[in-house]
Amino acid sequence: MKTLVTLTVNGEERSLAVEGYRSLLDTLREEAGLTGTKKGCDVGDCGACTVIVDGEPVNACLMLAVEAAGRDVRTVEGMQAGPDALHPLQEAFMEHGASQCGFCTPGILLMAQSLLERNPDPSDEEIRFGLSGNICRCTGYTKIFDAIRTAARRMAAPPADASGLEAAE
Amino acid sequence: MTRQDFRIVGQSVKRADVLEKVTGEGLYTGDYAPAGLLHGKIKRSEIAHARIVRIDASKALALPGVKAVLTHADVPRVLHYGSPHPRSASCTRDQYILDDKVRFWGEGVAAVAAISEEIADEALDLIEVEYEPLPAVCDIDAAQVPGAPLIHGVGPGGNLVIPPVHVERGNVEKGFAEADLILEGTFEGGRPVPTYMEPNVCIADWDGSNKLTFWTSTQSSFMVRGALAEVLGLPLNKVRVLVDHMGGGFGAKQDLFQHEFLCALLAKQTRRPVKMEFTRRETFVAGRSRHPFRLWLRQGFRKDGTLVARDMKLVFESGAYGSHSPGVTNVGTASATSLYACENVRLNGRAVYTNTPIAGAYRGYGVVQTYFAIDIQMDEAAERLGVDPAELKLKNAVRDGDIAPSGHPIIGDGLPACIREGITRFDWAAKRAQPREHPTNPAIRRGWGIGCEMHGSSAYPGIKEQGNATVKMNEDGSVTLLTGAAGLGTGAHTALAQIVAEELGVAFESVSVVHGDTDVVPWDIGAFASHTTYLVGSAAKMAAAKVRASVLRRGAERLQARVEDVDLVDGRVFLTANPEQGITVHEAMGPSRGIPAEHLIETASYMPTKSYSFAAHFVEVAVDTETGLVEVKHVLPVHDIGKVIHPIAAQGQIEGGIQQGIGHTLTEDYVIDRTNGRSLNAGLVDYKMPLSMDMPHIETVILEAAPDPGGPWGAKGVGEDPIIAIGPAIANAIHDAIGVRFHHYPITPEDVLKGLRAKEETTNAGL
Amino acid sequence: MRRFEYHEPGTLAEASDLLTGLGEGTFLLAGGTDLLVEIRERLRRVHHLVNIKRITDLDAVTLDGEGLRFGALVTAGTLERHPEVARLYPNLWAGLRSLGSIQVRNRATVVGNICRASPSADTIPPLVADGAEIETWAPNGGRRIALADFFTGPGRSVLAPGEIATGIRVPPPATGSGRAYIKHGRRRAMELATVGVAVSLETADGRCTAARIALGAVGPTVLRAPGAEAILTGSRLEAGIVAAAAEQAMLECTPISNVRSSANYRRDMVGVLTRRAVTLALEAAA
Repeated sequence: MKTLVTLTVNGEERSLAVEGYRSLLDTLREEAGLTGTKKGCDVGDCGACTVIVDGEPVNACLMLAVEAAGRDVRTVEGMQAGPDALHPLQEAFMEHGASQCGFCTPGILLMAQSLLERNPDPSDEEIRFGLSGNICRCTGYTKIFDAIRTAARRMAAPPADASGLEAAE
Repeated sequence: MTRQDFRIVGQSVKRADVLEKVTGEGLYTGDYAPAGLLHGKIKRSEIAHARIVRIDASKALALPGVKAVLTHADVPRVLHYGSPHPRSASCTRDQYILDDKVRFWGEGVAAVAAISEEIADEALDLIEVEYEPLPAVCDIDAAQVPGAPLIHGVGPGGNLVIPPVHVERGNVEKGFAEADLILEGTFEGGRPVPTYMEPNVCIADWDGSNKLTFWTSTQSSFMVRGALAEVLGLPLNKVRVLVDHMGGGFGAKQDLFQHEFLCALLAKQTRRPVKMEFTRRETFVAGRSRHPFRLWLRQGFRKDGTLVARDMKLVFESGAYGSHSPGVTNVGTASATSLYACENVRLNGRAVYTNTPIAGAYRGYGVVQTYFAIDIQMDEAAERLGVDPAELKLKNAVRDGDIAPSGHPIIGDGLPACIREGITRFDWAAKRAQPREHPTNPAIRRGWGIGCEMHGSSAYPGIKEQGNATVKMNEDGSVTLLTGAAGLGTGAHTALAQIVAEELGVAFESVSVVHGDTDVVPWDIGAFASHTTYLVGSAAKMAAAKVRASVLRRGAERLQARVEDVDLVDGRVFLTANPEQGITVHEAMGPSRGIPAEHLIETASYMPTKSYSFAAHFVEVAVDTETGLVEVKHVLPVHDIGKVIHPIAAQGQIEGGIQQGIGHTLTEDYVIDRTNGRSLNAGLVDYKMPLSMDMPHIETVILEAAPDPGGPWGAKGVGEDPIIAIGPAIANAIHDAIGVRFHHYPITPEDVLKGLRAKEETTNAGL
Repeated sequence: MRRFEYHEPGTLAEASDLLTGLGEGTFLLAGGTDLLVEIRERLRRVHHLVNIKRITDLDAVTLDGEGLRFGALVTAGTLERHPEVARLYPNLWAGLRSLGSIQVRNRATVVGNICRASPSADTIPPLVADGAEIETWAPNGGRRIALADFFTGPGRSVLAPGEIATGIRVPPPATGSGRAYIKHGRRRAMELATVGVAVSLETADGRCTAARIALGAVGPTVLRAPGAEAILTGSRLEAGIVAAAAEQAMLECTPISNVRSSANYRRDMVGVLTRRAVTLALEAAA
């Protein structure tokens, strides 16, 4: 028997009919059309399905969709400020080669975003600890650490008109 | 090759495909959901070796929501290749889609399609299978005993997959007679699995004209097309294979898997699209691993350290099917002709069936195993001869003109260059002069080690390869590259676009890449053997050169100059003598003064031989002598890969390979219960890959020391190399720290403690 | 995943009724990080899930003169981020911090980790060593059970049908006490303990007045090591005494061999980790 679950996904209210046994992950992918959240293991071991629920990163595979009723869910599709405005983490991941096959990337981006929200200037050890539940099998993590450091630095810089800065140089 | 003025090649341009990966828009096979989609699941055997006496699907078919069940009685009985390389001589036809026999624990015996994943899963339990157990052989010793139970009725006899590979050069007996030091040892390795993050997945859909559209996560879409067409009895133009983004493969996604055939057949029977997606557990049980191995190695050295003889016997465990064993056995055996030059070699390699999960292609393809042994024994020789291991490796490293495993002379001194550079950058001598004791923690000992490797780009001579590319220039000057090479995450498409832009003389951003549709792009052998940049890159460069010639012709016409007097750089055609006088490529291609616009299409094919890339890895480890835990603290990999196309992508390949190699050496092993063939750790908790907290500081160094004329501007491969050198480097560093030699991987904490105790007993006995 | 019926009771009484009334295959869902995995991996046949997350008053954390108390819905992440927990109970904090991943800890409840009754659960050894108690609700009245007496075997506890664990109480750390938890695994994160050793010491005038040692993953339940504790108690915790206690702990554990480790290696690690944990606890006490 399906239940109608109303939740906020990336700032938009969605009502989705779901079976009680369906995970938030399957529901986001199959009912909400948000396939950016990936299924790498379906048992909470890989972090590819990381989403932010009420401000906390969780594995979407380990949460039933019915439990997300009334909650605020953020996925990788919600990271961009606008169609042409990438999040600094997304920019840095592209520049540093922090994404190879890209399957772990959405989960790692959200985990990194959550880390920087709590701790805008993380140490190397804190970055490593922050990503310890996200498996990347391609990069050896080195480039991911680089990208997060770069993004943290840029996000910490006082807001300025970037074009103006360039003109001044 | 001598060109210096690169504009795009050698730059870490932004990978075009990564934008979709960071926004979540990139579509992987599992993200597609055609209307009316059914979900397929496979029932897997719970016995390692048996004949199926009875299989009854009636209860499963009666479950509401179940649309079809297939057993061995319902599918075409065609013997096929698991490793579908039609141009390779070394394939073994030994698999059926479903058989009335099972040969490993976890082999598929039936398949279900249902309206939901949950119903399909429940239906599996309703399929009744009655087995007549057969004696199982779950290790290479049991499989090779005379009179051992036979797993297949094919092959050269016994449980051999192929006739033994024998390679002999020079005179081994004479070599040993000249030796002052002879070392002998047996080496073994476990069963690492690639553990790509995207579990295998495919979707099959048939249209009214009996054409199959097949989305699948594969490194070799044309091989999938070929094998599906052959088994289903279809012409190649009735099978369209699609793959866009892919969540890694590392070699293993070259095979054609049982679920891919079954998915196509379920879709055909139900006349609805069917998706089959592995669980993580299935990626272990039904995926492909590296070949477990045992290798006996005897080498002779002169007092001055010169290597004079090498005798090797190597056995690979193939598991229940041949898959890539023919290739792995040939490549792994032949690789022992090289790395450290030796004129007298005698090498014997074989592959043996066992009732265990299938070993297949995996990054490092047989060479990981061989060079693990050869490099460690070279380290032992240095110890016995009282010389520095890096110096001894440098002395014996293959050089320009030495004969490579492929039979061709090696080009350049890539390996010596890597070793020399590493000795300096790592400050090798100073590091090794430090005490092994940790400055503050008495339980910890430190050690430093070096490991070397080389690896071929392309599968030549095992496979006569062909790289193809089509380059189109549109009438506005924009460029489209069509390639069949898969984008498994390496950044290959970016490298190919860079090569096209560089050769053509246009901006990188003006080149886009079309790939992943076998109905559209030129034939491709598949993305493997570290060859995409080398092989397809060369074809792309050739096709781009043809387009460039036409653009120059049109530009010259417009400029009313002779074609030999014009040049094309940065998207402009201009007079070489007067660069100010020129037009854009857009202007050159567009209509003007009665000349219509032109759309250029050029295709090129390239048949390569082989180039070799080289590496030396320098490693620091810390060993906890009370727990046996080994921590890799620092890695300095030095690689020669010829001309570097995209430095960051190349570094990424190296660093990722090191991560996997650290895992193989210390923690990763897919364990099979040798008494019954059952998997003991088919999951990400107990199959232990190094994660973010475990990775050492990596300081990647890339050299362009030995460019190869066979690749674009001398470029060579890099994908496989890093995983080969890191293993022996770690084992050698552990020895340096605690004085214990390990001849196997993974080296577990328990092994370290046992080794330390055995050493202590030997020392005490000596007193 | 398998199909099951989902229930969301509003009170403990309703939850208890569902658990006893719905018959076989009915399970209580708190965090779900173990249960959902077991369903998906076909380790547990579930017909009904009773989610207790809508029940109020189960998510409180209090820390006062009585010590620490937290309810059944308090996640490992919540406790891990509590600055006083890290300061006062570094042993529990170490256990929390090594349980799964950050994402898992944001869903997993500590009480759930305990009720799962795995011998390798990371939160159990520190709580046993600290003398924690578990509180339960039952239709005919709840009870408080010493955690050391709660487990009866792997996956089994003294909880009666329809009885629901509602929270944990941990005594306040005494002056001059010190505590530590050391987990042994092959990786630095995402590990199930090969061995876990928790030590809580109380000292006065340089002498050990009480010692509790809890050993994880080396028996059917988390074990105490009374012989080793007796060696430490009353001593000045000199290196020789600590080594003797560590050796005694090795004799008191009953490990098995499996894919993670051999029994012998586990026993060896009990010795190493007990010695190291006593040393750490002693430093903390000072």
